Amino acid sequence: MSLAEPAALPVAASAAPRRHVLKRFVGRFNASLPAYLLLLPSLVFLALFTYGAMGRALIDALYQRATPKAPVRFVGLDNVSAVLADPAFTGAVVNNLVYAIGTAIPSIGLALLFALALSRTNAVSSALRAALFLPVLIPMVAASTLFLFIFLPNVGLLDYYIGRLLPVVPNWLGDPDIALYAIMVITIWKNAGYYMLFFLAGLQAVPEDVMEAAHLDGAGPFIRLRYIILPELKPTFLFVIVIATLNAVTQVDHVFVMTKGGPSNSTNLVLFYIYQQAVEHYDIGKASAATLLTLAALMGLTALSFRTMANREGGA
Amino acid sequence: MLFTRRLMLGLAMAGSMAGALAVPAMAEGPTEIDLFFPVPVDGKLARDMGTLIKEFNETHPAIKATAVYTGSYDDTLIKTRASIKAGKPPAAVIMSANFLLDMQIENELTNLDPLIAADGTTKDQFLGQFFPALQGNAVINRSVYGVPFHNSTPLLYINADKAKEAGLDPSKPPQTWAELTDWAKKLTKREGDKVTQWGIAIPCAYDYCGWMMETLTMTNGGRYYNEEFGGEVYYDTPSMLGALTWWNDLVYKHKVHAPGATSGPAVSTSFISGNAAMMMLSTGSLTYVRDNAKFNYKVAFIPRNVRNAVPIGGASLIVPAGLEADKQKAAWTLIKWMTSPEKSAWWSRATGYFAPNMAAYKTPDMVDFLNKNPDAKTAVEQLDVAKPWFATYKTVPVRKTLEDEVMLVLNGKKQPKEALVAAQKAADETLKPYNAETSLKLP
Repeated sequence: MSLAEPAALPVAASAAPRRHVLKRFVGRFNASLPAYLLLLPSLVFLALFTYGAMGRALIDALYQRATPKAPVRFVGLDNVSAVLADPAFTGAVVNNLVYAIGTAIPSIGLALLFALALSRTNAVSSALRAALFLPVLIPMVAASTLFLFIFLPNVGLLDYYIGRLLPVVPNWLGDPDIALYAIMVITIWKNAGYYMLFFLAGLQAVPEDVMEAAHLDGAGPFIRLRYIILPELKPTFLFVIVIATLNAVTQVDHVFVMTKGGPSNSTNLVLFYIYQQAVEHYDIGKASAATLLTLAALMGLTALSFRTMANREGGA
Repeated sequence: MLFTRRLMLGLAMAGSMAGALAVPAMAEGPTEIDLFFPVPVDGKLARDMGTLIKEFNETHPAIKATAVYTGSYDDTLIKTRASIKAGKPPAAVIMSANFLLDMQIENELTNLDPLIAADGTTKDQFLGQFFPALQGNAVINRSVYGVPFHNSTPLLYINADKAKEAGLDPSKPPQTWAELTDWAKKLTKREGDKVTQWGIAIPCAYDYCGWMMETLTMTNGGRYYNEEFGGEVYYDTPSMLGALTWWNDLVYKHKVHAPGATSGPAVSTSFISGNAAMMMLSTGSLTYVRDNAKFNYKVAFIPRNVRNAVPIGGASLIVPAGLEADKQKAAWTLIKWMTSPEKSAWWSRATGYFAPNMAAYKTPDMVDFLNKNPDAKTAVEQLDVAKPWFATYKTVPVRKTLEDEVMLVLNGKKQPKEALVAAQKAADETLKPYNAETSLKLP
């Protein structure tokens, strides 16, 4: 997991006698004590509200209450298998995959395009950057409410213009075949500006002399992009992909505001499914089990991405 | 400085002694209670609630009530349940009327019978103050669990200008489904294949869709669920099949209703902008229409196929389970005050909901208001044919099974019969554990 430490530690452990290691450890600990003390408040809150909550979800996932009058009983992994057998959950997973891929690729592509176009700082590009970043500043709930009116069938902003071209205007949020894509449009619009920031930072790190040399060798802009810029941006890509994936699973404000998972469950995402189990079905066991499954999938995915990233870094 | 502080202290003590003389049990200062309240419609409801509670606290020195805003009806249920679980329930909550049964099954409600008996009134006397239609959602197994606070029914809204334009008489609104179909056909305008004006709009988003299906089924002579027992719904029945088939016909046979599922705000915007000439919507939207329509409009009863009938909407006041006796008592005082004729009438005028207390309509201010706004009368008149609001074990998921299928029908993906069979099956599945625990648990 860590990038530099593993190389240093084994050497130290094998070289020095045990007593020295201990002494050194105590010395180090004493030296970093203020740091730990400074970190303590954050660690306490992290333990209470992040790991504590995860632990609680783990325990809750093992218990079940069939009806209000029946006592809560230990069921082991029954809740997990119930979640996996629930067609609504598999539906939400499929929706979420479509949503994740369908929002990550376009928004990252757009972000790179914007970053490349606006990489040089001048008055115009600064203004354009600000304009593209604006959607990030709008809270998701506000943006969703805004789009609710844009998508209004027949009278909304979108239909007002498209309605002149098409004989039949679609009911953007009321048709199960379209609703998920309508929601994806908002996500792309909202996230592209955010990812642009990372790419702008990444572009700063492209070595100036390599670019210059390429210039002298007569490499055109496309060649430079293909062989210099994109390889240099690899860590940025990996990082942004992780962020985009996490966003696709952890943001459901727009689903909540615009469709509540409907029509006919077509926009139901995994996090919204968990909310439904906990609040609408009042089934804490199943909600916790679904939470654990999601958490495991996300942690696996993140670990995998960071490992890939570390390998690339190491190889370079 | 010291002198003034001492003076203040003395005043405070004198005050509390005065309070103690008036209400001996409250000698230790006012009982502090919380009231959770949702704001389900547009407007300045939160400020009005502040005004109401301030007045209550001024007139009841022994109690200090705090109004806590809790979001929508659904959010209010979540927050109430969370605070009950945390062991600190609010003393009173304005709760969506159809959640009461579910909460009672979960043992989350205080039975109000002893509080009514302690006042020296009988249950019948107490309930007699409210419109009979509202009692179904407040009484469970012959015990009182809720006090109706503000309520609604669906209405038919008509754009009177457009009706006149189409040669229809808006003073004689359609009374049957046949007449409504006829009106909708005359009010639909086309340019080639494209519809520029829809005859009618009926909302179908989660929550609203179930309420509208209940409305149509009732006017088709049917029932939606077993009002006496929380384990049965009647989705796969002729009366509901007729209702859904008619809705489907409006969309795909007569082509006077836009396809797809539409939310409540989308329907009202469509009506206000003139894109839909008629709509079925809650009386809760009446104030919005009154303020925004730039044309003459009419409100009418929901047309019938078999009989006139509508479901109740809105909220009741409840007392969560697990409160100390003094807080319970204070909550009860607050609830009685809030649902009294004068306060109930005031709240109705401020918000647009109708007042559940029948005596509210005899107060002079209310008589005045209705004379000035005759359109506010329709919902009250319709109360004569109103019935309780859909409520079962796990109300929301059971309602959603139907709504998901209705949405598929309105999108042209399923036929009414197969949709209702599927909805019934899914609902039965959700209700199974409750039935196993109750109606199917044989001695």
